[in-house]
Amino acid sequence: MAIARIQTFTLLGVDAFDVSVEVDVATNGLPSFAVVGLPDTAVRESRERVRAAVKNSGFKFPETRIVASLAPADVRKAGPGFDLGIAAGLLVSSGQLPGDSLQSCAMAAELALDGSVRPVPGTIAMAERAGEVGLDKIIVACESAAEAAMPAALGAHSCRVIPLGCLRDLTLVGTPGEPVHSPRDFEPGAPPELGVDLEDLRGQPNLRRALEAVAAGGHGMLILGPPGAGKSLAARRLPTIMPPLDNPEAMEVLRIASACGPGGPNGNGRGSHSAHRPFRAPHHTISPAGLIGGGNPPRPGEVTLAHRGVLFLDELGEFSRNSLEALRQPLEDGEVTISRVRHSVRLPSRFVLIAASNPCPCGHGEDSPKCNCSALSAQRYRNRISGALADRIDISLSIEQPTPEALAGEAGESSAAVRERVIRARQAALARQGCANAELGPAALREHVPLSKESRRELTSGHSRLGLSGRGHDRVCRVARTLADLAGRDEVSAEDVHGALGFRRRTPQ
Amino acid sequence: MNGLGGWRIRRGEAGWPEPLAELPAVDEDEPEMLFGFGARELLIQFEPDRTVTIVGSRRSGSYGREVARELGFGAASAGLLVVSGMALGCDSAAHEGALDANGATVAVLGGPADVPYPRSKEPLYRRILASGGAIVSEQPQGTEVHPSFFPARNRIMAALAGWVVIVEGAHRSGTQHTVKQAAKLGREVLAVPGPVNSTLSELPNELLSEGAPVVRDAQDLLDHVLGPGQTQVRGVGPELEPELLEALIAVEGKAGTCDAVAIQLGLEGNAAAVALARLELMGYVAGDAVGRYSRTQLSPPLP
Repeated sequence: MAIARIQTFTLLGVDAFDVSVEVDVATNGLPSFAVVGLPDTAVRESRERVRAAVKNSGFKFPETRIVASLAPADVRKAGPGFDLGIAAGLLVSSGQLPGDSLQSCAMAAELALDGSVRPVPGTIAMAERAGEVGLDKIIVACESAAEAAMPAALGAHSCRVIPLGCLRDLTLVGTPGEPVHSPRDFEPGAPPELGVDLEDLRGQPNLRRALEAVAAGGHGMLILGPPGAGKSLAARRLPTIMPPLDNPEAMEVLRIASACGPGGPNGNGRGSHSAHRPFRAPHHTISPAGLIGGGNPPRPGEVTLAHRGVLFLDELGEFSRNSLEALRQPLEDGEVTISRVRHSVRLPSRFVLIAASNPCPCGHGEDSPKCNCSALSAQRYRNRISGALADRIDISLSIEQPTPEALAGEAGESSAAVRERVIRARQAALARQGCANAELGPAALREHVPLSKESRRELTSGHSRLGLSGRGHDRVCRVARTLADLAGRDEVSAEDVHGALGFRRRTPQ
Repeated sequence: MNGLGGWRIRRGEAGWPEPLAELPAVDEDEPEMLFGFGARELLIQFEPDRTVTIVGSRRSGSYGREVARELGFGAASAGLLVVSGMALGCDSAAHEGALDANGATVAVLGGPADVPYPRSKEPLYRRILASGGAIVSEQPQGTEVHPSFFPARNRIMAALAGWVVIVEGAHRSGTQHTVKQAAKLGREVLAVPGPVNSTLSELPNELLSEGAPVVRDAQDLLDHVLGPGQTQVRGVGPELEPELLEALIAVEGKAGTCDAVAIQLGLEGNAAAVALARLELMGYVAGDAVGRYSRTQLSPPLP
């Protein structure tokens, strides 16, 4: 009997890493079953699952010395995703299954004791990787077949998907009776069905125009307002007006969702099959590791789950300073690097930051007679928004509860209508500079933000009259660029500069 | 202290502010010594009838700060010396107003004069010294700040000036203590009216009901200190287009946010934001730390 070699994968962060499962079933020796190659607990326990699944599927479990080696031997392997590979290797090596067809397949699935096959996290990344290394097929659980077929639908590296119901069906692989996955219709560009619409936002025209600018330019936003003013309501509607994901972006989002396990990032079973811009709203008690990712092996945090979507930090002043400081790297680099002793992983984290805060700790605002905060505590509260975070916040605005008349009045413009304007503006920006306006650096600003004479004069006046700083100037230019894009103007007019000045962040007093 | 550019004056020496000698007559201690930094001349050439003390609540809203700044600005532009306590809120705003007018201002600290207190006002501390103002205290360098220093400091602020303006203050506050000291010393106490349902305006409103002169703007203050019509402070800004005038009236009518102005005038968000930004650039409105707008003292030209 020969050694069998099956291609499997382990997850490092959200990416698939090649692991070759080699199984040797000796013809003699005392009966034993060892798994070597830095397996974690879940992998070591796979021996028991494989033994039971093999027996219960009508195969014979060889009563000799069996060694399964996971190569490369120096990378720690985690998770139950090697079960199917080990079982298949064992069956091929012991001559119960033909080796030729199976050894050209990648495998990614967990086994149940009765031999049925279960999905594993990260199937999308694994299917993509299998295609990248040139394998023809990947065998996955029936439940993950739709996920595994997504790289093909999105034009990434891909291979044929074989959905497997139970271990016994391995006998069908490579025969005319091989299970086939028929992909259902999948449109990555379809508008998201999020169950909310911007038309619910009434009586707050300034907030509306801010959301529109955020969606078009990708700017960070800070909303200040008392409880009940509609801060979360507005933030939750932002993904409905953002431009659709293009295919590579959709792959990034899906890879992350899939790495969170079959339940998806929300644990509700949805999410890993839809390429929508994610919306994440972590609670303010979140730890730095929960926010940027952590653990061993490293798991994605909220910034990664919000990749290409919206990260909404409600009650910004209540987040711990450590958590907010941890946002520095993801905000500046668009990715998080988490280093462990044996390896480091890079997790993507390019998101739109929306922060909301009460104007002071009690929430009423210092101008309200109901406010009972001390000047110092109110100032401290506002000062939380400093450093890296403040640099990323181009748009800042103060809102109030809309009046009852406005709430009872007619509905506002719908998400679909706003989204069309946003898409046009974003396309204009991409055609001009290849990135969203929020990512324009100082040099790119000079090149891509042509100011009319009048708007230049207004900006200069902003310096002297409003104490606009150098960075404040750049922020105003970026936002003015977006407002001009939304209005369909090539040149940034004085009106755009005025509109952007209204969104500038004011220095705390 | 002398080596660091600081100075001290002993009671009775040349340059000792004479009004402090009135303190023993009302059963208050006259300080033994004053320690200070910055422009000592301010105390040497000190004229009580050209000095105003502007104080108010630490826990002030944008209303109190804006008014205190305006009063500090107006008083300093008219050449008056502005005295306050560099506390958070109204006090600091009064100093800042005076500095904005390139005027002289004296901060009387509760703790020693070499330590900016509160710490967050260190930039203001340095600005006062850099622009020809002075910081004084009766506490020698190295003394640890003690809560009892602040009421004691109030008697000096009250004694130094001929007039004491109360911008905001609650009952039983430090500001009320200053009022009591000023009343004992026979200084005239002026008050800025405020909303009747705001605890911050309890004290000034009560003073007004008891007959204190009302200060609605810097002009009122100057009319009182220098004589009616002696100086004109109310600025007249550039001409306004009709839609800007409408927006200005809306802000005057307590529409503090861009949303509120837009709804009130039936404008699109962008149009309202543009109008407000232009008004702010012209100086007609000012935004506070959270971006709420309020009216400044600048008035539009008459048609």
